[in-house]
Amino acid sequence: MWQRRFDLPLGADGTTRFVPWLIAVMVYLAALALAAGMATADAASRWNAGLAGTATVEIAPASDRATTDERVGDALAILRATPGVIAATPISEAEVAELLAPWVTTGELPSELTLPRLIDVRFDPGTAVDLRTLGAKLSALIPGARLDDHGTWLQRLRALGTSVQIAAALVVALIAGASAATVIFATSAGLAIHREVIELMHWIGARDAYVARQFQSHAMSLALRGGVAGVLMGAATLAGFRALMGPSQGSLLPDVGLGPATWAALAILPLAAAGIATLTAKATVLRALRRLP
Amino acid sequence: MNQTAQTEVVRLDGVAMRYATGPEVLRNIDFRLDAGSYHFLSGPSGAGKTSLLRLMYLAHRASSGTVRVFGHDIASSPRRSLPGLRRRIGVVFQDFRLLDHLSVRDNVALPLRIAGVDEPVIQSHVAELLNWVGLGNQLESKPTTLSDGEKQRVAIARAVIGRPSLLIADEPTARVDETQGVRILRLFEELNRIGTTVVVATHDQHLVDRFHHRVLRLEDGRITLERDGRAPALTREAGRVATPL
Ligand SMILES: Nc1ncnc2c1ncn2[C@@H]1O[C@H](COP(=O)(O)OP(=O)(O)O)[C@@H](O)[C@H]1O
Ligand SMILES: [Mg+2]
Repeated sequence: MWQRRFDLPLGADGTTRFVPWLIAVMVYLAALALAAGMATADAASRWNAGLAGTATVEIAPASDRATTDERVGDALAILRATPGVIAATPISEAEVAELLAPWVTTGELPSELTLPRLIDVRFDPGTAVDLRTLGAKLSALIPGARLDDHGTWLQRLRALGTSVQIAAALVVALIAGASAATVIFATSAGLAIHREVIELMHWIGARDAYVARQFQSHAMSLALRGGVAGVLMGAATLAGFRALMGPSQGSLLPDVGLGPATWAALAILPLAAAGIATLTAKATVLRALRRLP
Repeated sequence: MNQTAQTEVVRLDGVAMRYATGPEVLRNIDFRLDAGSYHFLSGPSGAGKTSLLRLMYLAHRASSGTVRVFGHDIASSPRRSLPGLRRRIGVVFQDFRLLDHLSVRDNVALPLRIAGVDEPVIQSHVAELLNWVGLGNQLESKPTTLSDGEKQRVAIARAVIGRPSLLIADEPTARVDETQGVRILRLFEELNRIGTTVVVATHDQHLVDRFHHRVLRLEDGRITLERDGRAPALTREAGRVATPL
């Protein structure tokens, strides 16, 4: 039941002309915050999946190569005998050198640099492995061996991801509050400007809801217009980021591309803005009308 | 609803009224309007006529005493029941209060739209009524382009479009010439004949004397005279109020 006809000339007074602009800016900011939050959540879960269930054993190089190889062999034997370990794979020196390459400017590793040997360990996600005991056992039996379960690294990543998400949620909530405040301000101005007409309608038997509906429809259309504009600007900005970062950034950087979930969240933003505007306008008008006898 | 409530359209008992924290502009008001009656509310400017009408069309609350409209004690009626009562009252405001952004047609249609009447019904009723008051060719005009006499007729059409049981007119003749004024009051008599209770406030004593209707005279916020319409000679001073000065 959509009634286009308004008894109140709400669009004509110019006091609400700024509302779509403000809503557009706020929805734009909300879109960026939301995308940032979702991208971080996504990346954090990928880091989690990538690193959980793995560990690395590091063996310091001994004085001669043969001893080092022997220690690596011992460590592999202990690991493979441990229940819950699916795989223990030594990483070749060449691979280690490759891992280090980005940090070495000259490209050639100095030959006198002796690298530690690394073993990549994967655990069965269904079996609880006591990493502390395993680490202690390795250290005790093999000189220079150390088990790194990535725990500290993962913990920091998780904390960072959670902080970014909380900040994003807070930003979105603040924006929702600011939007509501904007609508309250605009609606109050409308109530003041059209006071005489509203009083007349009240005296000739208009229910509060009838008057409120006109403000609601007006606020809804203003917010919808601003919201669509804001979310389009947001999508354009995100697409720009995406283009700047280039295709396929591996798994380490958060992916700011517009996945289906992000698209859905962005599509909801203008509707959410319209919903907030409608409810806020309604509450503001009903509150004001209660003061009439 | 009991029998008295059916015949008493408005009843005020010991009513006083003030604006915000100002002084009482009405004091000690007692009277009743029976269904089908026609009353003049006379008195000089500032006597409180508009204020008394505002109490009756539920735009203001009494500061003391009881106001009953259509048998409902307004002070104790739930807020949601008041729009229904207001829709049974037609009001011609002293300053017209037409909506300048709406056409004559939409101004007159407003009470029906508010009451949720179907649009085709609204259109035919409005056209018919505007023809009756001689504005059939001004349906699409904006009120700002009309003369005072025409505005007054639009205001009257809006007041009666919903077939109110009670018609309240505040100085409906103040801004028109005498011939038009008399025509307006005759029009109210026609509505009164089909059962509408009519109250007309006017400071024009000459006009009051021309029509032999009941008269309530207000002076300085008090009723100083109640005159019976059928026997204009038998005026009586209202006993309960000592006339000041
Ligand atoms: N909105 C208002 N606020 C304060 N005082 C008012 C208001 N309207 C009327 N009054 C005062 O109430 C008294 C009665 O006014 P009113 O009812 O308009 O008289 P009348 O209609 O007989 O000319 C006057 O003293 C007037 O100044
Ligand atoms: Mg007056």
